[in-house]
Amino acid sequence: MDTLKNRWNKWNPVTILLSFFIIWFVFAFLVFPNVNTIYETFFGTGTFSLEPVEKLLRSDRAVQSVLNSILLAIILVFTVNIVGISLVLFTNYFDIKGASILKLSYFSTLVYGGVALNLGYKLVYGKNSPLTDFLTQINPNWDGNWFSGLFAVGFVMTFACTSNHMLFLSSALRNVDYQTIEAAKNLGASQITILKNVVLPTLKPTLFALTIITFLTGLSATSAPLVFGGKEFETITPMILTFANSSSSKDLATVLALVLGIVTIIVLTFMLRSEQKGNYISISKTKTTLVKQKINNKTVNILVHIIAYILFIIYTMPVLAIIIYSFTDAMAISSGFITWDSFTIDNYLLTFSSLEAVRPYLISLGYGFAGSFLVVAFCLLCAYLMKKYNNRLTRTLDFMLMIPWFLPSTLIAVGLTVTFNTNQWVVLNQVFTGTLWLLLIGYIIVNIPFTLRITKSTFFGINQEIEDAAKNLGANAFYTFIKVLLPIILPSIMGIYSLNFIGILPDYDLTVFLYHPLYEPLGITIMNATGNSASADTKALNLVYTVILVILNTMILTAVYGNLRFRKRKKV
Amino acid sequence: MITFQDVTIKYDDFTAVKNLNFEVKDGEFFTFLGPSGCGKTTTLRSLVGLIQPTSGEIYLDDKDITNLPTEKRDIKMVFQSYALFPTMTVYENIAFGLKVKKVEKAMIKQKVADIAKKVDLAAEQLAKKVSELSGGQQQRVAIARALVNQPNILVLDEPLSNLDAKLRVQLRNELKSLQKNFGITTVYVTHDQEEALTLSDRIAVFNKGEIEQIGTPEEIYEQSNSEFVCNFIGENNNITKLVTNHPERFDRLNLEENNAFYSRIEKLKISLFGQTYPLVEDELSFTGKIIDSEYYGIYTKYSIKVEDTVVRAVLKEKLSLGTDQNEKVQVILSQQHILQYK
Ligand SMILES: Nc1ncnc2c1ncn2[C@@H]1O[C@H](COP(=O)(O)OP(=O)(O)OP(=O)(O)O)[C@@H](O)[C@H]1O
Ligand SMILES: [Mg+2]
Repeated sequence: MDTLKNRWNKWNPVTILLSFFIIWFVFAFLVFPNVNTIYETFFGTGTFSLEPVEKLLRSDRAVQSVLNSILLAIILVFTVNIVGISLVLFTNYFDIKGASILKLSYFSTLVYGGVALNLGYKLVYGKNSPLTDFLTQINPNWDGNWFSGLFAVGFVMTFACTSNHMLFLSSALRNVDYQTIEAAKNLGASQITILKNVVLPTLKPTLFALTIITFLTGLSATSAPLVFGGKEFETITPMILTFANSSSSKDLATVLALVLGIVTIIVLTFMLRSEQKGNYISISKTKTTLVKQKINNKTVNILVHIIAYILFIIYTMPVLAIIIYSFTDAMAISSGFITWDSFTIDNYLLTFSSLEAVRPYLISLGYGFAGSFLVVAFCLLCAYLMKKYNNRLTRTLDFMLMIPWFLPSTLIAVGLTVTFNTNQWVVLNQVFTGTLWLLLIGYIIVNIPFTLRITKSTFFGINQEIEDAAKNLGANAFYTFIKVLLPIILPSIMGIYSLNFIGILPDYDLTVFLYHPLYEPLGITIMNATGNSASADTKALNLVYTVILVILNTMILTAVYGNLRFRKRKKV
Repeated sequence: MITFQDVTIKYDDFTAVKNLNFEVKDGEFFTFLGPSGCGKTTTLRSLVGLIQPTSGEIYLDDKDITNLPTEKRDIKMVFQSYALFPTMTVYENIAFGLKVKKVEKAMIKQKVADIAKKVDLAAEQLAKKVSELSGGQQQRVAIARALVNQPNILVLDEPLSNLDAKLRVQLRNELKSLQKNFGITTVYVTHDQEEALTLSDRIAVFNKGEIEQIGTPEEIYEQSNSEFVCNFIGENNNITKLVTNHPERFDRLNLEENNAFYSRIEKLKISLFGQTYPLVEDELSFTGKIIDSEYYGIYTKYSIKVEDTVVRAVLKEKLSLGTDQNEKVQVILSQQHILQYK
């Protein structure tokens, strides 16, 4: 980070070209569509008009959906954090029997996100599920549709949104200097005091970021409310989707999306301000690794074990259900009842017998590979430039690239469809809506902030002297990057790549706005099969899809993270 | 020969290094010595070409290299953190510079093997990951990685600061003999005065971005030409008060021009009160009382109160067998060893 001007690199034509590309991309896809949408909404007729806002306020359903979304987001911030922290403590901090099995189930949300997960919960808790049948048997008055509304959405999302906790909070916890815990013990602190005053405060920055992500996820939740919300609990995004699909109320969709954006920004500003207070810098020089804590109090210990295993059951059931039902016939799938005769592998045979059936897979795989590759490449480039040139321009860029975090993906999606519906000069008069490109661009955009944060932190984590040393030994900037820097950051880059990838595969929330109708991605297909109206055959097919998805994602994650862990061990 | 001419380096508004002028001769072991933050690394980085001076020129022999990028300079650096490439093996690390230069594979192999032998790295270490080496071995890899390129000049930024005391002394000696064997011009950065004194042909003492004195270790130590250098190197007694209280006795000092006086602690002599000590012509004797003593094994350090000044002195043997506390002693000062400053 030389603040000194680097005379030789200053006028490097490649750098200049790349910088222009980045500036164009940011303007064309991050700034322009959003600004354009706002403009179109309020100045669509040529003069400023608040008509769309009034229209919105007149619709009770719309207003209620805004309130519902905010309520859901707030609830999730609490429930997801509580469950997430518990999972992390159970697997990494406390000495729990069978922790490795628990871990496996807690990590399951990582390999089947979004719509696939909804499918699983529906199989376990929905109408016709064995559990519901059982409840009806005990209590004949039990409502078969009991699992719907705010409770159901909140329940599903609470357990669905803990993947980031498992990934990032765990790693933050593992980075806690064990000596601080020993020191606290030595000073006579109780286990609960140590947890509260020593361990949790060091996790604060991570928890803070996770809270933001959780809030945003809750605010723009799409698939879970669609599947489990029912009539009585509608949220913003599905509402926007409905409006966006009818030409008479397109403006309503935008205004709703804007409301979503404004709420997000208000909350973020509020949170960012409180973040300033809570930061700390680790000063430990000789870190020792965390040793799992045995809970001294017997009652507490038993209680914690019980909770851990209840969570285990909750996390395992949906996956198990998907796997089991994928091996049963249509009859069992639609009725929920399984007998010995129900088992069959026909579903699998069916899936692989026609190209048509694997099509959604191929489409999503294509988007997954291309989308996460492009976003990682783009963020690498940006991070590199930011490290090399720390000036006002790169700082502005850093801020601009965070836009997708400040705006809910729904607003971005609406912005993209509305803006690139007609030919726009910023993209050389191309129309993107209704092409395959739009979804790809969408995937890239929404994955930028997170990818950038990770790449940046790995990049800035590299000792500057390493880069200097390579140059001093005669390597030019490109060679240094490829041969020295890239291998160092590769593990984290692979990690973020695979996370993006498995996020894109079953994505529904963004996809539904942007996909090409003739090229239906996996998320859409699975979602269609989750609805009550779907035929048992479609359902069967999608169970197979989901199982394959789970296997695929598991393989990717074990390959990447398994490898990572191996490397780490060698290092020590 | 390296020449710095009026080199000034600024970080934004902050001037890290001001108006440097010095020369390093061929084959010389030249050391930058100074407290933390005084601009040693900054100066070194400008010599290596990792940063650019805000003004001034740097010459190598007669060539102006001020604007030459680091990869084009024949000056190789050993970094403070060693900066070994963690994803490569020891061999790959050492071979890096040669590979960049597109040297033939067989040649690289030969050269790496040669240099590894010279820095005492066993052949089986070459296949290891750098993270599997000890601190001392890592340092030797860092040195080998620089030396294998046969640079004109080798530059080292506090290469011993991460090591434990014993290894530091051992490697210091190895470094010196390596430099002698290769005959390579070496610029060395340290804030450890002992390292500077034992290794260097000449030392430049930095203070707040400026050079206070350049000279051989003896010159720097015996004839420190500023109060800062005098205080930074070695241990001192500030005897200004004693001198100003007895101006008539310190007849060999320049009392008109100077007003700060120091004496290095090992230059003081002590003799027990009552024993006669034959004073040489420029020597003065004062009476004092021992108030403290520290036992170091090789020597013992005494704190003695003379009038209202506390001076320290070292003795190879302890003064007496009994307690030294409150013992009355004579302190003998030799005027020619008193350092005087304005
Ligand atoms: N990149 C930078 N930006 C701004 N100021 C800097 C930068 N690098 C160094 N400085 C400042 O320049 C001054 C000299 O720094 P330098 O690293 O040269 O010190 P040093 O003598 O090597 O110290 P040390 O013995 O601690 O390594 C310091 O005051 C430091 O704060
Ligand atoms: Mg330094």
